[in-house]
Amino acid sequence: MILRVEGLSKSFGGLMAVHDVSFSIQQGERCAIIGPNGAGKSTLFNLLTGHLRPDAGRVYFQQAEITGLAPHRICRKRISRSFQRVNIFPMLSVFENIQVALLAMQRKSRMIFAAARKMARQETEMILQDIGLAGQEEVISGTLSHGDQKRLELGIALAANPILLLLDEPTQGMSPDESATAMALIDRIARERGITLLFIEHDIETVFALAEVIRVLHLGVLIAEGKPEEIRANDEVQRIYLGERK
Amino acid sequence: MDFSALFMQFLSGLSQGMLMVIIASGLSLVFGTMNILNFAHGSFYMLGAYACFAVVTLLPQVTGNFWIGLLVGPLAVAGIGGLIERNVLRRVYSRHLLDQLLLTYAFILIFDDVVKMIWGIDFQSIRMPAVLSGKLDILGRSLPHYDLFLILMGPLILAGLYFLLQKTRIGRVMRATASDAEMMLALGGNVRVLFNRVFMLGVWLGGMGGALISPQAAISPGMAVSIIVESFIVVVIGGLGSFWGTLLGAFIFGQFNAFGILFLPRMAIIFPFVLMALVLIIRPWGLLGRPESS
Amino acid sequence: MKRVLLRILGPGPLGPVLALVFLIFLPLAIGESWVSLIVEMMALAIFATSLNILIGYGGMVSFGHAAYYGIGAYTYALLLTKAGAPFLLAMAAAPVLSALGALIIGWFCVRLSHIYFSMLTLAFGQIVFAVTLQWYGFTRGDNGITEIAVPLLLQSTLRFYYFALVLTAVCLWGMKRIVDSPFGKTLQALRDNPLRTEFMGINVRLYSLAAFVIAGAFAGIGGALFAAFNHNVFPTFMHWGKSTEALVVTLLGGMFHFLGPAVGSILLIFLDKIVTSYLRYWSFVLGILLALMVLFFRGGFAGYVMGRLNAFGAKREGSQ
Repeated sequence: MILRVEGLSKSFGGLMAVHDVSFSIQQGERCAIIGPNGAGKSTLFNLLTGHLRPDAGRVYFQQAEITGLAPHRICRKRISRSFQRVNIFPMLSVFENIQVALLAMQRKSRMIFAAARKMARQETEMILQDIGLAGQEEVISGTLSHGDQKRLELGIALAANPILLLLDEPTQGMSPDESATAMALIDRIARERGITLLFIEHDIETVFALAEVIRVLHLGVLIAEGKPEEIRANDEVQRIYLGERK
Repeated sequence: MDFSALFMQFLSGLSQGMLMVIIASGLSLVFGTMNILNFAHGSFYMLGAYACFAVVTLLPQVTGNFWIGLLVGPLAVAGIGGLIERNVLRRVYSRHLLDQLLLTYAFILIFDDVVKMIWGIDFQSIRMPAVLSGKLDILGRSLPHYDLFLILMGPLILAGLYFLLQKTRIGRVMRATASDAEMMLALGGNVRVLFNRVFMLGVWLGGMGGALISPQAAISPGMAVSIIVESFIVVVIGGLGSFWGTLLGAFIFGQFNAFGILFLPRMAIIFPFVLMALVLIIRPWGLLGRPESS
Repeated sequence: MKRVLLRILGPGPLGPVLALVFLIFLPLAIGESWVSLIVEMMALAIFATSLNILIGYGGMVSFGHAAYYGIGAYTYALLLTKAGAPFLLAMAAAPVLSALGALIIGWFCVRLSHIYFSMLTLAFGQIVFAVTLQWYGFTRGDNGITEIAVPLLLQSTLRFYYFALVLTAVCLWGMKRIVDSPFGKTLQALRDNPLRTEFMGINVRLYSLAAFVIAGAFAGIGGALFAAFNHNVFPTFMHWGKSTEALVVTLLGGMFHFLGPAVGSILLIFLDKIVTSYLRYWSFVLGILLALMVLFFRGGFAGYVMGRLNAFGAKREGSQ
């Protein structure tokens, strides 16, 4: 069991964004968190990554408690995250985006007199190969297409050599084809590196292809969890989504 | 130090403060609605003074020429402001703060020389209007009538502004735009025209400040530079974009100056900056500002 | 021809080395007053490049950077005149004290961002200015410290020029190394996306403060160099007008290139000298120029030139 969440709750003002959510994730699992808009998915992520402090509840990673730790400490535990809105370094080149994350991981960011050009080249190239952006090293990342930026986003998250990878809507803004490609890429990388995946997706069909376990959030409450077939057959889930699609 | 002397200092600080209210409101209004920090606001203040001076020198024999200058000058300056907004400033709205500051700084440079071209570098002055040139006896000391006039003008203009913002339709539109310009645009509001009018109003306030001070102060190109930093201090203390904040900030500023000069003359020029720094460190959004506004 | 230019102006040491060689031999060809002018450009170049570490590379718009320039200048002046210190010690002490000032002031400033950061740097800058102005007993206030003599060895214009050249070259090289280092890259990442940088495990405030202090130190060297050149220091060295001068110069030359501010320094001082000998209204010209740059040539002079050359380079590549 790599991640255990117990009774996690968070409210904003009077609004209960996440309410008494508990679940556990096994090593190597592919878990998708789905739910309509406003279900509390991003808030849950923010609680896990330290961007928000929970009002109640605990989070355990590899048996150690990480509740309420600051984001950069959680990063050091090799929990990495991608963001819903593309969160790259737009004025840096593709190469530099990955490199700067690698250097941070290697604790070399504070070096003032070394020439960065020559550092972490191999590791950067490997990640660029993995995400399919090799050959575009010098391109300024802000000029990339949305899809490529999302890949770079993934690359930055991978640079931290994560054990657990949290992906916040990785296919947002992509066409169905692009989504399929992106998910295949994530699948392959996760398999090759033995990464446990926890991802938020809004579109169910995308999720069914990849996830082994699906957890459904609705109005901050975990209402269902199980294998894809079980979720598909779940009446309550159908009602929520069909009701939404009206 | 007896009470009457202290009271006189208080009044002196009040008159300075109330003048600053007018000037700083212009800066704050433009920032609050359009999210533009107009570095050149001081230049419009200076132009207001020179415009008033121009009217007075063009109509030397007309009685009440100062009052005509007070009326016409700031309006003319507002017109110039409107032209600048429409043709130049508009282009940098979506850009970084630095661009806006540099562009408005360019106008400081331009107006500095324009004024020198037309009127030269010597100090100019306007004679005090006859009706206000007397002094009032308070507690055995004398307060110039003009100071009293300034103490009254500040709240008067502020009240007019308040009425505009709270009671009129255009005021409501301005306030709505201040909190959410994108929404206003989506609702079909003619944000462009609104921005232009708001900018003109802000400039008018600055110009009016300059015109009002012209009988008391030396009119010179250096006016622009000294007033802009003081305006920044006032709006930072009170809170950028906050209506009442500007009043509070200006009042505090005026009093700090007045009593600073009295008790610690050597340190007096440092005080406003120290106060500005303290506010920014402890409560960056100002005494009456809101945290989200940044 | 353009291909050669591309080679020179692109990354790599060829350009700077050529420029250095050019500057070494330049005094043989021009008159003394021009040599003096170049020294002035060099002091401004150090100052403006240090500011660009904050603005261009760090995304922190400081309006009070002249404070550290002034502290450096006054440190040099005071050590030389009041303490009778040797010249090199006075010069070396300047960046140390500037860095110290930057550390104290920066500690408060880096807690804020955007406009509040800018305002606080302005406030502190003016405080430093006002204190220098008013502390007559120590700094001689408005009168400044005048007639500061340089050692006999450097009293000729030419010798001082070469001293300044060495100092400027070393400073610019140092700043370039810092900007190209992992620290420099992380600083740029911080500029682009502070939230993400934090999530990479970086203490954003610490890195911002470090950049602030480094920039302050180099500004101090620029100030000391100018003080030595000018033989006088005045409180106006710390005024926000001086800070704005560095900003203008950085914009003119281009804030997205390392040597942009240096180019801008050359342009500004050169234009100033030319224009003021014909026109009285230099501010007007500068204002128009500045407005045009902000509106149409955002990348500055360097940005424009590099843009044209890169377009040319891309075209050639495309046609091959």
